[in-house]
Amino acid sequence: MFGKGLFTGLGITLKRMLGPNITEFYPEEMPNLPPRTRSSMGLDPEKCISCNMCANACPNKVITITSEKGESNKKVLKSYRMDVGRCLFCGLCTEACPTGALHVTQQFENAIYEADELKWDMIERAGKSRGRGEQA
Amino acid sequence: MNALNQLPLNIAAAIRSLFGDPHSIWADLTMDIISIILVIVLIVLAALILILLERKVAGWTSQRPGPNRLGPHGWFQTIADALKLMGKEDVTPAGADRLMFKIAPMIMFALPMMTLAVIPYGHGMAPIRLNLGIVYYLAISAVSTLALLMAGWSSNNKYSLLGGMRAVAQMISYEIPLVFSLLGVVMITQTFNLSQIVADQHTIPFIVLQPLAFVVYLIAGVAEVNRAPFDLVEADQEVVAGPFTEYTGLRWGLFFLGEYGNMTAVAALTTTMFLGGWQGPAILPGYVWFFLKVGIIIFFQMWVRWTFPRIRIDHLMGLAWKVLLPLSILNIFLTGVGIYIYQLIVPRIGG
Repeated sequence: MFGKGLFTGLGITLKRMLGPNITEFYPEEMPNLPPRTRSSMGLDPEKCISCNMCANACPNKVITITSEKGESNKKVLKSYRMDVGRCLFCGLCTEACPTGALHVTQQFENAIYEADELKWDMIERAGKSRGRGEQA
Repeated sequence: MNALNQLPLNIAAAIRSLFGDPHSIWADLTMDIISIILVIVLIVLAALILILLERKVAGWTSQRPGPNRLGPHGWFQTIADALKLMGKEDVTPAGADRLMFKIAPMIMFALPMMTLAVIPYGHGMAPIRLNLGIVYYLAISAVSTLALLMAGWSSNNKYSLLGGMRAVAQMISYEIPLVFSLLGVVMITQTFNLSQIVADQHTIPFIVLQPLAFVVYLIAGVAEVNRAPFDLVEADQEVVAGPFTEYTGLRWGLFFLGEYGNMTAVAALTTTMFLGGWQGPAILPGYVWFFLKVGIIIFFQMWVRWTFPRIRIDHLMGLAWKVLLPLSILNIFLTGVGIYIYQLIVPRIGG
C-alpha cells in the first residue's frame, strides 16, 4: 500500500516514546560500566611484596617503588608511586603482579586541577578508599 | 458540572453587571479588552507549555528524558529560556531594511492572536462572534506568508531571502488544498460561523462525514505552520534558519511565539471544524473538551515532526498540487453528491 512506510515510522516512534529511556543520569546515579572497564589502579599494600615486577612490566615507566629490608630479610614496601599522567591503563602491571596486590578498578572520576595531582601515592590512596568503605 | 460549564459566562455576566447598563458601549469595550488579554495569555501559556512539550516529545522519541534539570521534570526550562531571550542584545544587521525588519516579528505574533480570537472555546464562549469566521480565519492566517517574506527580505542575507521565497511558494500552494478541504464542512452546514458549525456537530463530528477532508487539512495545516516534515522555510541544514537567521533576542522569541501560536490556531480550527469543538460527553466542561482535543492534535503534529525527515522541495510542490488539491476537489464533489442524495431521500422517508 502506498504510504504504508509513514505508519510504520509513526509506530516505531510511538514505541520509542512509550518505552524506557536509555539515558543515564550520571552525576546522580553511577553508570553501569562494562565489567572489564579499566579506568583506575588500586593497590593492596599488605599483599605487595615489593618485587618490582609491575614497574618492569610497565611500558611507560609509570611505577616507582622504594622498599627496605625488614627483620627477616624480607622486602617491606616503603612507597609506591604512579605517575598517572603517563599511564595508559593497559593493565600489564596487574598481569605481572604475582600476588594480585595491584588491580584495575572502575573508579573513573580522575579529573584534577593541578598537574602535580597526577602523581598518585598508591599507599595513601589505598588507605583513603578503605576509609570510604570501597573495595581497595 | 453545569455550574462549572457556565463559569466563564457567569463571570462575564458579573463583570457586565458592574456597569449601569450591562450592554452599554463601555461594558462591551471592557469585555473585548478582557477577552483579547485572555487570548494573549492563552498564546503565551501555550507557547511556554508547548515548547517544553516539544522538547520532551523530541527526547522521548529518541529514548531520552528531555529537559529535566530545572524544576520538577524540567518544567521551568522554558521560563528560563524566555528570560535568557529577554536579556539578549537586540541586533539589527547592517544594510537591513530597519522598519520592515522590526515589524515582521510583530506581525507574526499578532496573527495567531487575531485568529484565536474567533474560535469558540465553549458554548457561547467565542471571544468575538463573526458570521464569516472561517473566511476571516483563512484571510488572517494567509498573512503570515507576508511576515516571513518581510523578515527574509529585510534581513539583507541570502539565506533569509531564500527562506522567505520558500515560505511564499510553500504557503501559497498549501493554502489552496487547506481552503478547499474546509469547503466540504461549509457545504454541509451552510454557514461560515464557527459557533454554528460546532453546534451542528452535536450529533456527529464532521471527521466521520469528511475523513478525506480531515486528512488533507491536517497535512496542509502542518505545511501552513512550516513544521517538519514541511519545514523548508527554516531548514537549518539548507538555509541556516531561513527568515529567522538574523534575528536575536526577543524579536526571535516573538517569531517562536508566533510559530507555536499558529500551531495552536491550526489545531483549534481542526478541532472546531472536524472534531466537534467543545461538544463532548457531559462528564467534563465544554472548554476542557476543547483543549483536550486541541492537545491531541498538537501532540500528533509533534509526533509527526519527530518521526519524518524533511520533504524535498519538488516533492513538496508535487504533494500540494498533484495529490492534495485533486483529493480536496474530489472531496467537494463527493460531499455535493452526498448532500444531493440526502436531500432526495430525507423528504421521502420523512427524516
